[in-house]
Amino acid sequence: MKSTRSGVTPYTIGLPILLFSVLAVAVPNFLDVQNLTNISAQITALLIVTLGQMVVALVAGIDLSVGAVVSLAACIVATQPNPLVGILLALALGLSVGLVNGLGVALAGIHPLVMTLSSMTFLQGVAYLVLPIPGGKVAPILGEMANGSLWGLPHPLLWCALCAVLVALLLHRSRLGLHIFAVGANPHSANLNGVRAWGVVVAAYVVCSLLAVVAGIYLAARVSSGDPTMGASFSLESLTAVALGGVQLTGGIGSIFGVVTGALSLGLITNGINLFGLSPFLRGTVTGALLLTAVCLQRRKAVGL
Amino acid sequence: MYAPVIAAVADAAEPHPHPIVVRGISKRFGSTAALTDVSLSGRAGSIHAITGENGAGKSTLMKLLAGVHRPDAGQIVVNGRPTILHGPMEARRAGISTVFQELTVLPNLTVGENLMLGREPRRFGLLDRKRMLDEAHAVLALIGIELDPRRACDTLSVGEQQLVEIAKGVSADASVFIFDEPTAALNRKEVDKLEALLHELKAQQKLVFYISHRLDEIFRLCDTVTVLKDGRWVATEPARALDTDQLITLMVGRPLQALFPPRRPEADGGIALDVRSLTPTRGAAPLSFKLRTGEIVGLGGLEGQGQREIVRSLAGVLRPQASDIWKADAGGTQQRFDPATGVVKAVAQGVGLIPEDRKLEGLYLELPIADNIGLGRLRGLGLWRKAPRDWVAIERSAERMQLHARDLKQEVGALSGGNQQKVMLGRWLAAGVDTLLVEQPTRGVDVGAKAEIYALLREFVDNGGTILAVSSDLLELIGLCDRILMVRGGAIVGDVPAASATEESLLALALAEALPILEVAA
Repeated sequence: MKSTRSGVTPYTIGLPILLFSVLAVAVPNFLDVQNLTNISAQITALLIVTLGQMVVALVAGIDLSVGAVVSLAACIVATQPNPLVGILLALALGLSVGLVNGLGVALAGIHPLVMTLSSMTFLQGVAYLVLPIPGGKVAPILGEMANGSLWGLPHPLLWCALCAVLVALLLHRSRLGLHIFAVGANPHSANLNGVRAWGVVVAAYVVCSLLAVVAGIYLAARVSSGDPTMGASFSLESLTAVALGGVQLTGGIGSIFGVVTGALSLGLITNGINLFGLSPFLRGTVTGALLLTAVCLQRRKAVGL
Repeated sequence: MYAPVIAAVADAAEPHPHPIVVRGISKRFGSTAALTDVSLSGRAGSIHAITGENGAGKSTLMKLLAGVHRPDAGQIVVNGRPTILHGPMEARRAGISTVFQELTVLPNLTVGENLMLGREPRRFGLLDRKRMLDEAHAVLALIGIELDPRRACDTLSVGEQQLVEIAKGVSADASVFIFDEPTAALNRKEVDKLEALLHELKAQQKLVFYISHRLDEIFRLCDTVTVLKDGRWVATEPARALDTDQLITLMVGRPLQALFPPRRPEADGGIALDVRSLTPTRGAAPLSFKLRTGEIVGLGGLEGQGQREIVRSLAGVLRPQASDIWKADAGGTQQRFDPATGVVKAVAQGVGLIPEDRKLEGLYLELPIADNIGLGRLRGLGLWRKAPRDWVAIERSAERMQLHARDLKQEVGALSGGNQQKVMLGRWLAAGVDTLLVEQPTRGVDVGAKAEIYALLREFVDNGGTILAVSSDLLELIGLCDRILMVRGGAIVGDVPAASATEESLLALALAEALPILEVAA
């Protein structure tokens, strides 16, 4: 029904399948339950951040601050003795960052790159102030929530599923979701149709920052400590996953399914680099090259043309 | 909450006898006054035409009513209450539904989603997709459009998109309906459908504002006619009390000839530009036409039929897919002219473009007039050369343009639209261009300056130049040009001498399918 809107192409589906097959054949213990659990745990945080990045990309925005939000949220959770207070503080952080980013872009007319680059730098600084060196302590109950399993399913998988379902509800079953697609295709037309475009853009940035906070909480819980740089790579990786997933960075086109395949591809590449014993620094190189390739492939079919 | 279709609102409360009253409304955009002190009142149960030439302020007036712009002065009274419409959403809430001239259909949504956008049915706070689909079905069936509401809108033709647009406007729960030139992309059958809808709205005691400059539609459809001219109110009359000639006189306000310079009786210069074959974009059919020295050739047609692509690919802005073009040089010998080599080469061969959006694509708004004109003379100089200010040439060029400016150091951004257009012309004169491609020669130019620009263009060809002008204003093409090429679907469908062309005959060529309407009118 909405094939043109989803942006999913044979490439977006093919890439993770190809990667999976290559790894399954080439690496003997790739298919071990232990390794697959590892992969899903590694992908979880990226996928959650990517879901948020997609919502912003759908309104033709970009959020570079997600990485810093992940780090700062993790540091807050790791430094608060009471887990509930920590989580609430982190969520409040996400809400305010999203509001500032969104209002800056939608009302003050600041370019999303500049706006979120500024907030990224600012928040990275705050993260160092909160927790200068990796450490802190995370309540054991949180650790259990991140590392345990339920009916044989590892908890990380549940975190992914929960976030994906929530974002799916938002995009396809709520008014805001329809408005996000509308504003992404053409904010002016959407406005003439009675959609308050600036409000939709602000909401998209808030959703994105909140999801980054969730990813930060998950990460802190998983390694039961905080680290002021633990999320740094997520800004560009989430963007790459979004582009690999067929989401148009010019707005209006994208799907959760596509984003899952994008995050999966990146996760498999990281895993592959580990399993082949290659230098971990290769990860950045590959991410950059993939981002460029994905964006080049999609530029020609902007919405409405 | 969402009385969705016409039938559902038929039994609404007693309508206000004058749902819209506009008092002394004014609106400026920058230095141009779009509307000045316009007053108007619309009666429930009537179709009220708003007409006037291009640039008369029709669309601006409607956009004020639709909440798109806020008036600078004056008052809008909706259903007896003075109302400030802060945005399109508030206008809808006040019961004003607008079908905009520009299509606002969103390509990535389905037909049904587009129809319901901004007033989506909800259940438990979430979208009620089933009801949305049902209501969309009902709206489409009622209006008699055979479209699947689940279809994505980027698969629709322009005509179908316009139908969706109309369906969206008509299905709103409103007491005032505004249609801004809704028939542009419709065929005869669809126009009939639209007119039946308008009559139905009228029968339900709605107020319909119908913007059009097609006189036959106005006389056939409307009860009252308001004529605007240069942003001012001219007259409001019952349509019955007017005939075509009277209405045209009201719209134009003076004999049409006064605006345009006389043509030369016979443009018999040699061939300046011989377009043997030009394929502007991939998949387009190759075109061929000739431009003679001393002649202004118009390129007309409905919006978006490929005129822009033709001109732009000639100018080298858009690389044409294929071309075989020969241009006479100063000595009169034919040289190969290949726009695919780019703008710089095209200008070097004497072909210049005056773009439609001169602020964005033509002028350096922060630079003085002198630099904007002088830029035309800098080409061919190496980057390391100090840019000379050739004051003699610049002043000569500015003088010929009769610029209304303090001096040549004034910033171009502060000039009026007409004077900006003259600066563009002046630059190409200074550059020694002999073939001008002009997009919308007088867009955003007020009427006084229009006549001056027409005269300058005529002077340019009289001095041995050639002009190809695109305009969406048929009257302008008829008045300004020697010949008019009509374009439809990327092909040239007519080559008409301007002296014998009428608006009706050109529209017939532009529309083809809608021909019967015009015959009825005649």
